[in-house]
Amino acid sequence: MRGVRRAILAVCFGVAGAILVRLAGASPTAPEQGGWRELRGEELR
Amino acid sequence: MTPGSTGAPAAVVVGAGTVGVRCARELLGSGPDGRPSVGALTVVTRRTDRRGTLAAAFGSEASVAVDSGGGLADLVRGADVVVVTRAAGEQLDVARAALDGGAHVVTTSDDPDEVRGLLDLRERARASDRSVVVGAAMAPGLSCLLVRHAAALLDEVDEVHVARAGAGGPACARQRRRALRGPAVEWRDGEWVERPGFSGRELVWFPDPTGGSDCYRAGLADPLLVADAMPHLRRVSARLAASRVDRLTVALPMLIGPPVEGGPGAIRVEVRGSRRGERHDVVYGAFDRPSVAAGATAAVVAVAAGRGSLPPGAYGLARLDAPRGFLQELARRGVRAATFEGSREFGVLDTGSSEDANA
Repeated sequence: MRGVRRAILAVCFGVAGAILVRLAGASPTAPEQGGWRELRGEELR
Repeated sequence: MTPGSTGAPAAVVVGAGTVGVRCARELLGSGPDGRPSVGALTVVTRRTDRRGTLAAAFGSEASVAVDSGGGLADLVRGADVVVVTRAAGEQLDVARAALDGGAHVVTTSDDPDEVRGLLDLRERARASDRSVVVGAAMAPGLSCLLVRHAAALLDEVDEVHVARAGAGGPACARQRRRALRGPAVEWRDGEWVERPGFSGRELVWFPDPTGGSDCYRAGLADPLLVADAMPHLRRVSARLAASRVDRLTVALPMLIGPPVEGGPGAIRVEVRGSRRGERHDVVYGAFDRPSVAAGATAAVVAVAAGRGSLPPGAYGLARLDAPRGFLQELARRGVRAATFEGSREFGVLDTGSSEDANA
């Protein structure tokens, strides 16, 4: 019985976490990303 | 063939497919100083049915010749530089003929076996004081320039990892399929290791808009050229972006004809090493149609080779000491490289402030 309760609790935490991530505007699967910037100016001289 | 009145080199492009035509177009453009890139240009095709189309497309700017087999030596005679843009696997004989004819040679092959054969021309090229540039396309080619450029930011480089997405014309699409079948070669601690194709899945982040894509080991030529230029490296690998559909169809011959012009593609090079005692990664990339980037890279290198600015021997672009000039010229022609500015906890090296870049 205790195991079932833990499993339900874990699922609830998981669902809540996924909702929070989406509310924060992030993709739940994409890793933390930087960005691409064009090489120019001094970097090519 | 005689050089034009401008003193610019006389060039021959052997292979009038997607990359060859784009390379010829780039060669007809002017250089950074406003002068013509080449003094005379000949485009060689094996397809008699294309002669009229090509002649109409180039008009008086370039002459079009048909290689009906056996007469290639005559077609390349007198050229300062010969750019070989035939399908991978069909470039070695052309390169030999061009070298025998006394021309500098720029090849675009990404077939590992052929690249080995082209690198083996080094002694012959040195003896005749000519340069044979191997793999001057998008990857290898632009990727090798970026590797060299990134390596200059580090005190010590020990790993290089290259990834590519997309293909140029139909011949490139077929070669991509062959590459996925493997085997792949990787440079590990001074030895070549063979791995099966379509193995070692890795999620690679290419420049936008390609973004993240699953990449796999494949029979690519980049490790051969990078390790040839930097034999001290511990690891060199290359991966190719592929989909689940590719996995299902990779063993089959191409049932549906490949597209005349491939879709957008991208490359990403990751150079790992140390600087001032700290571990760093430098990540460079580029996004463009592979045939456009390949044609421009081959053309820019061909102009330098035709002017005698490259050292004698056979080598890839990772061996060039001054890749910046080439990258700058490629950027002027619209093929722009990018740097990945990741989060600092992963140790990605700052390659220059945005303020500097915009100055």
